[in-house]
Amino acid sequence: MSEPKPVIEFDHVNKIYDNGVVGLKDINLTIMPGEFVVVVGLSGAGKSTLMRAVNRLHDISNGDIRIDGESITKARGKQLLHIRRKIGMIFQNFNLVRRATVLKNVLTGRVGYYPTWKMMFGLFSEADKQRAYEALQTVELEDKVYTRADQLSGGQQQRVSIARALTQAPRIILADEPIASLDPQTTKRVMDDLRRINQEMGITVLINLHNVELAQEYGTRIVGIRAGEKVFDGPVKEADDATMAQIYSGEEEG
Amino acid sequence: MTDMKKLPAQPAQHRWPFWLGWAAVIVLIVWSFTGMPSFELKENAVVVAKSMLNGLIHPDWSYVWTGDGEDLTHALLETLGIAFLGTFISAIISLPFAFWAAHTKNKFWLTSRSGKFVLTAIRTFPEIVMALMFIKAVGPGSFAGVLAVGFHSVGMLAKLFSEAIENMDNGAGESVTAAGGTRLDVTILASLPQLLPEFVSNTLYRFELAIRSASILGMVGAGGVGTPLIFAIQTRSWSRVGIILIGIIIMVTAVDWLSGALRKRLV
Repeated sequence: MSEPKPVIEFDHVNKIYDNGVVGLKDINLTIMPGEFVVVVGLSGAGKSTLMRAVNRLHDISNGDIRIDGESITKARGKQLLHIRRKIGMIFQNFNLVRRATVLKNVLTGRVGYYPTWKMMFGLFSEADKQRAYEALQTVELEDKVYTRADQLSGGQQQRVSIARALTQAPRIILADEPIASLDPQTTKRVMDDLRRINQEMGITVLINLHNVELAQEYGTRIVGIRAGEKVFDGPVKEADDATMAQIYSGEEEG
Repeated sequence: MTDMKKLPAQPAQHRWPFWLGWAAVIVLIVWSFTGMPSFELKENAVVVAKSMLNGLIHPDWSYVWTGDGEDLTHALLETLGIAFLGTFISAIISLPFAFWAAHTKNKFWLTSRSGKFVLTAIRTFPEIVMALMFIKAVGPGSFAGVLAVGFHSVGMLAKLFSEAIENMDNGAGESVTAAGGTRLDVTILASLPQLLPEFVSNTLYRFELAIRSASILGMVGAGGVGTPLIFAIQTRSWSRVGIILIGIIIMVTAVDWLSGALRKRLV
């Protein structure tokens, strides 16, 4: 066995918005394959910015972010799209095409593997349809495969979006506040799915949460962000209440 | 419960704008009456009204189908054709206009503002004016009617389309980007599926309106059922006017019902 290589690396990453607001301040972060990393912090602390920097939905101002050793910051054109293929993403508002069927939504995860003209005619291969169906089985929604997305409950929609991310065959799953609009029962369901994907498939999970208890229950490692700075980084065991209180102390924010 | 505060009186508002508004309306009404010619009936008004009513309740059923292509059925079909073709053409032309006029993120404000202005300008011209102009350009007949309906519809359809684009939720597009899709992939997989039902629904609604305008465009010579209608009125053949009006009512009702049913299924 060779030495495992980091799957995500943040190297002195800064993000300053056009209006001068500092989003991220000199972030250094190394995430190894198979980790379940929970990012915690106050609203507006930069958690979402950090997540979206990973797959470059947001550009960073300076520094470098590497995925599997390859810089996504410097990637151009096809190269960028190919790196994004390795990163599945789950959103707070699910971001499904509500009028389309569950199957179509899940297949969207494969978009990075096809030329655009094939998408124009919806030409997904049978193998990919099967892959999508299998991803739906992972989240136990296979009986909803031909249902329209807007017919599902919030929790089911979020699990469809997990299936969509899985269909991508990603190395990493980013989850940006995936449970913020869900009730406690469905929250547990979604979090359990993510844990299972992490443990059984070895997919690295980077998730940001508001809820400290959930962070401590599911995470293997906690990263605390305050006002764009990394103020804590360590295994869950070390993140005691005092540490959490410090991460969530608001006075230095802004 | 006795400790609860009493509801305070509503703060006094200035009432004078209300009364000023009413005064203005009354002045306008009085002023409009002074501009009207003195009200008088023509001597034969009662006779004309009687024969009109008599014709309308005894419609000329033989005109429905004569088989020579000059009957009501053909005229109605021509009207349908004008409305359908005009709406269809305008739906296609509307798309680029809609994207031009839609105010979305990362877009210079003047671009969408100028697009909206152009659409307003197009909407300003009534169809009948357009029809008269197109008749001069391409000659009388249904082609001028198609152009008039089509051109006028662009103004309204593109406005509705652009509003659909503005109100679209960009989340689904973001997920396509995150999965490694190009901008075109985002349009195909996320934007169009969300917009298409709205586009079709707006187009159908516009078709309902186009049917009504196509029915009168014939009065200025732009084809359709309006042409026999204006001839019948001018020759005072009221029973023929009656059957034409019945035909128009049936056609408009049928189209409204059909398109309404279709639109309900789309949403």
